[in-house]
Amino acid sequence: MSASSPEYTLFLGCMIPLRHPQIELSARRSLGALGMVLSDSDGFSCCPEPWNVKGASLDDWLVLAARNLAVAERSGRDLLVLCNGCYSTLTEAGHLMSNGGEAAERVRGKLEALGLSYSGTRRTRHVVQALCDLGTDAVSASVTRPLSGLKVAVHHGCHLLRPHEILQVDDPFDPVLLEGLVEALGAEAVRYEGYTDCCGKATRDQDSSLRIASNKLAAMKSAGADCVVVVCPACFEQMDLGQVEIKRRLGEEHRLPVLHYCQLLALAQGGQPDSLGLGRHRVDVKPALQKMQG
Amino acid sequence: MAKAIPDFKDKLSRIEGAGRLTACYQCSACVAECPAAQQCGDFNPRLIVLAALLGVGELLVEKDSVIWQCTTCYKCYERCPQGTHPIEVITACKNLAAAIGNAPEEITALHDTVAGNATLIMPSTAIEKRRGDLGLGPVPAPAEDLERLLE
Repeated sequence: MSASSPEYTLFLGCMIPLRHPQIELSARRSLGALGMVLSDSDGFSCCPEPWNVKGASLDDWLVLAARNLAVAERSGRDLLVLCNGCYSTLTEAGHLMSNGGEAAERVRGKLEALGLSYSGTRRTRHVVQALCDLGTDAVSASVTRPLSGLKVAVHHGCHLLRPHEILQVDDPFDPVLLEGLVEALGAEAVRYEGYTDCCGKATRDQDSSLRIASNKLAAMKSAGADCVVVVCPACFEQMDLGQVEIKRRLGEEHRLPVLHYCQLLALAQGGQPDSLGLGRHRVDVKPALQKMQG
Repeated sequence: MAKAIPDFKDKLSRIEGAGRLTACYQCSACVAECPAAQQCGDFNPRLIVLAALLGVGELLVEKDSVIWQCTTCYKCYERCPQGTHPIEVITACKNLAAAIGNAPEEITALHDTVAGNATLIMPSTAIEKRRGDLGLGPVPAPAEDLERLLE
């Protein structure tokens, strides 16, 4: 690797390695092909997840997140995450720790008692940011099989975009970065009604949760999308497995394949669907793949 | 009729992020784009903030309270002109409900799984096999001994 290769500590979180490892595989392959150096590290916990764990106890959520950041600082590298939940938790926790409220003071004391400290010297970067840091030209240059003809509905996910004053990734209501990354692969990003709406995953009532997702999927299809691209395993689960539940409970069928951006990137770099484990997706991805080859 | 809890607003305001509760002037900017308000009949972020302001805490922290329908989409955070950030008031309400044992069981269970095992999802031989089939190595070892941080 050249001296300028970006190096990160990979923070995988829980859902990707333990439920959707095919996303991890595509990320390792596709980001490696772009020259990114990803180091694994023992000793992290769940980020923790930012609606249930945080809902149960903001103090517990903050102390575990700050501990992860303190462990990451020891590596001397920025963290790379593939999940919006990990991104929002680690970024917001860093913001709270750096701006020192009462909760941050309590956490600081607990970390010190264990010989840990958080200084804010290392950033948490979402894969969307890391790819934009490299530049869409570099992403394009890695493509060996352009996805021309493929229409992609981009779903950013809430915890990548909001609150913008803390997360600072893209415009919270008119984001463009992920669309740019999709178009760098030769595909066409299509806009649809409710572009920045939530996937509904965190809503407790199952039918309401599925209704939110179903409305979004219907809008994507109306705009002519062949597939959905997400950058979060929770959004992935809600929109992929969710389509099975939507059919069963709401009687609506969308058949819209869902891919993590890293999977789309790995395909455009010449990866074979079978070796990338895409057969595990609940909505068959073949129709979208045929469109790519068409 | 729900009873007011005299110190509810003060307790809530002390939780990180919920301190701007009293700046709310009930404009409803938080409601228009709220996905839970659109899909879950009783959910309304403006009324949740109003109930908190009036100290009608029982409604908010009872078992199966409507607060757990929040999607945490943070649109209300962006749209709030007063910096009240209804999502943060709702998160604080969730914390108070959890502290008295009124969080939904599945959410308490998720919290306890993370606290006890450092992960939201427990490893299994099935997932290790799937990882192996994909050519992936074992999952990095999780943190140990989180108990002292969570006392």
